[in-house]
Amino acid sequence: MNHVVLVGDMKTGCKGDMIVTHALGSCLGLMVYDPGARVGGLLHAMLPLSKINPQKAEENPYMFVDTGVPDLFTSLYDLGAQKSRMVVKAAGCGQPLGNSEMFKIGERNYTVLKKLLWKNNVLLEAEDVGGTASRTVYFDLSTGQVVISSKGAKKEL
Amino acid sequence: MNQKELNLILDDVKSFPSMPAAALKLLALLKDDDASSGQIEQVLRYEPGLTANILKLTNSAYFGLPTRVGSIRQAILLLGWKKLIQIVLTSCVSAIIDKPVQGYDLPAGDLWRHSIAVSVATETLIKLLKLSVPDEVFTAALLHDVGKMVLGRYVEAEILHMDEEAMQGLSFEQVERSMFGIDHAEIGAKILRRWSFPTAMINIVRWHHEPDNAPKPDVAIDVVHTADVLCLMAGIGMGREGLQYQPSEMASKRLGLTQKHIEIVASQMLQWANELAASVQSTT
Repeated sequence: MNHVVLVGDMKTGCKGDMIVTHALGSCLGLMVYDPGARVGGLLHAMLPLSKINPQKAEENPYMFVDTGVPDLFTSLYDLGAQKSRMVVKAAGCGQPLGNSEMFKIGERNYTVLKKLLWKNNVLLEAEDVGGTASRTVYFDLSTGQVVISSKGAKKEL
Repeated sequence: MNQKELNLILDDVKSFPSMPAAALKLLALLKDDDASSGQIEQVLRYEPGLTANILKLTNSAYFGLPTRVGSIRQAILLLGWKKLIQIVLTSCVSAIIDKPVQGYDLPAGDLWRHSIAVSVATETLIKLLKLSVPDEVFTAALLHDVGKMVLGRYVEAEILHMDEEAMQGLSFEQVERSMFGIDHAEIGAKILRRWSFPTAMINIVRWHHEPDNAPKPDVAIDVVHTADVLCLMAGIGMGREGLQYQPSEMASKRLGLTQKHIEIVASQMLQWANELAASVQSTT
């Protein structure tokens, strides 16, 4: 089955499923896969920290990296995934041109992700982050393969 | 760039669809503090399709009205006539830009969703920063990228050149100018001028990517500029060129903008934009 993950959303699935998320700009796309249980999930989070709008985080934890990432892992554990087998890949976290600190939401999303993973002893296996590119992610849950499409070209992550 | 191509682009501007006459009459009323609901009803009397769309929008979750609205008069009573005129204009704009845009690779509805999101983010920024700007800013926000609808097919033909490394550090409107001698913002401004829209609106569309080059600093331009960057970053209607635009630090300064403001607006705009876009889409 095909699942589409919108901005501020998360979907999980198993063997036979394909998860797609379109137009990652400064948002974080996080793909987590357990090749043993053949389950995986994709998070499309918009902002780094939920403290900016706790009420919104309550309604929708997937809008924020700090609430969305733990939720994604927990959901996968519920599907039988094991932490030791998890393969974690990241995409997105782009920036517009220039050096305005304020608009570096992508960089802040990435920093919060790295801190969370480091604290929990999880390695980032691969990443395609930063720059001005718009990225679309195709995540195949039969194989764990992640393909990134940008400017009409596709590559495997 | 070549002159022949530029002439073709300018010809396309001339043959771009016109705005319904009702829209222009209502825009004029928006400036008139003595306008009455009777005048608005009169303009809409001969526009049954438009009226149906207005009522659908008015009843959308976005406005959260306690009762179902069945007439223009009732909508004016509950929302106020200025808000109602904005709804009419929103409905007119949707009919024009709810189409796929080639070159920028925007599927049908994406430019429309982007426009709605920029209008919502503009409104949210204005409230948060307590700015004083004319009401036309929301309609200008809806139309800021209308020039992409003309330039799209030229971009499509040249896109591989536009992707070259030498172009990567340039803001995409500069890339457009270097290829075609004109960019989508200037084309949009020409379209609004042909529609006889007010100068303030034309300026917002014209300078939305380079507010520092406007004839004079204008918070209305700054706020649409900021809202646009923010919506692109969130991926709403972000095209093939991605985030290849540069936010103006001067504009942020003029607005008194902080990182916190940006993140608060980003966290709020998504749901509202989705609700509003969905309610209009169901009418087309």
